[in-house]
Amino acid sequence: MKTRYPGYDVLAKWNSPSFDDTTRHVLAQRLDKVPPRRFLDPAEWELLEAVNRRLLPQPERAEPIPITPWIDAMLHDNVGEGFRHPDMPPLREAWRTGLAALADEARLRHGQSFAALDVEVQDALLRALAANDVRSPQWQVLHAERFFTQMLLKTAAGIYYAHPWAWNEIGFGGPASPRGYVRLGFDRRDPWEAREVR
Amino acid sequence: MNHAVQAQAESGPAARALGAAALGLTCATVLAVLSSRRQPRLQPLPLPTEPEARAAGQLYLSAAMLAASVLSDSALEHYRGGFENPGMVAPLASATLALGAAVRAARRPARPASPLPFGAACAVGAAGLGFHVYNVLRRPGGLSWANLFYAAPLGAPAALSLAGLFGLAARKVGRGAPTLARMPRGRALGLLAAAGLVGTSLEAALLHFRGAYHNPAMWLPVALPPVGAALLAANTAGPPTAPSRLARAWLAATAWLGAAGVALHARGIARQMGGWRNWSQNLLSGPPLPAPPSFSALALAGRAALALHARDGRRREAV
Repeated sequence: MKTRYPGYDVLAKWNSPSFDDTTRHVLAQRLDKVPPRRFLDPAEWELLEAVNRRLLPQPERAEPIPITPWIDAMLHDNVGEGFRHPDMPPLREAWRTGLAALADEARLRHGQSFAALDVEVQDALLRALAANDVRSPQWQVLHAERFFTQMLLKTAAGIYYAHPWAWNEIGFGGPASPRGYVRLGFDRRDPWEAREVR
Repeated sequence: MNHAVQAQAESGPAARALGAAALGLTCATVLAVLSSRRQPRLQPLPLPTEPEARAAGQLYLSAAMLAASVLSDSALEHYRGGFENPGMVAPLASATLALGAAVRAARRPARPASPLPFGAACAVGAAGLGFHVYNVLRRPGGLSWANLFYAAPLGAPAALSLAGLFGLAARKVGRGAPTLARMPRGRALGLLAAAGLVGTSLEAALLHFRGAYHNPAMWLPVALPPVGAALLAANTAGPPTAPSRLARAWLAATAWLGAAGVALHARGIARQMGGWRNWSQNLLSGPPLPAPPSFSALALAGRAALALHARDGRRREAV
């Protein structure tokens, strides 16, 4: 895919001083140990998969960066960010409620499941969520805009940009430990950093 | 490190032009020295036994150590700065030239050596001070503690000038000149080495303060060399006498301090994240490995000055 860092592969650092065993272990998990579906039911999975495809479309990737499996793993392990939003139920309940409300919203408006809609219609529906312009009564227990921004969008972006392929895309070097950076001024670059082509 | 401090990494076009001019002049000097007709090879002389020749040899050695320290230090730090100004190559060229000339001359100190490499070192060092002052002043905050800590070090180019001055002095001493800069040579060299020790100690004080004196050994280069400088100055400023044993011993300790400093800085690099395996970062962000030998070089010059000062006395008695 076309990026501002052509030819940059953060995984080339695998055996360099930039990576240590902890980094290698974590990245090996992200690359090779994509978790199976354990928490969401098939309908919820399909809905979430359709949402993630619109939040972070990856038409240029032959193999997209997986997002839904990691949300499922998070819910299965019930390990969130370490805090709870004051206006939302606990993690698992919030996701289940939100997904159910979104499915209901799609059916109310278009008489179909979200995944079956055209992408333009899906985008319009997600924009309505972001504007808190919703009709389903199920949103009474969960604020639609808050669910969209705080849960759907932030979680998907977090998982996407945790993947080394996304690091290649944005020229990110991975953890600044053990090897950090020396040349910190504007337009300065250490030899072990990605080279930007402008 | 905050970004405001690191801002404006690039020098202006005028500074780059000046830097290019400085580099051009330095390279011209290097070429002039290299292309000058080599002296016919003489039979190797026996090791100098004359005190003057021995002192001149020590002074050449001191100049060589300072030049080697400047060469490795500026190579490392200017590589870190990406050689953004062409002038940043000049100290590498000049220090290499001075190092070669001093090592060659140290082997036969009584033989005439070209003054060009040492004169160039003085000039490049002085120009370097100007560039480093400019580097500090053009950063946001100007002459602030943060810029003195993290911008181009003001004291570093002076070491190259000192290498040049000791090389020039060694030439004169080797030829038996009784005075340097209209002063008895022992006194002139004693005061110069003392000033160099105090200046280098001040730089160590500044940068070790930046490092919060986290290791008690960091006080040593702040505490020992100034005392040595004071003993040296007191000994050589007065009438010529036999060198004080205390001054000689203190300078010897200062010389060993330079060697110990390299070992301690190597340990400091090992203690950084990733240690020596992560040398590509830690050699640059850790304590500077080439800095401490400056103390050894200056202490050596100081001991040569003590010997010459005593010799000045004997000469006067003989007259």
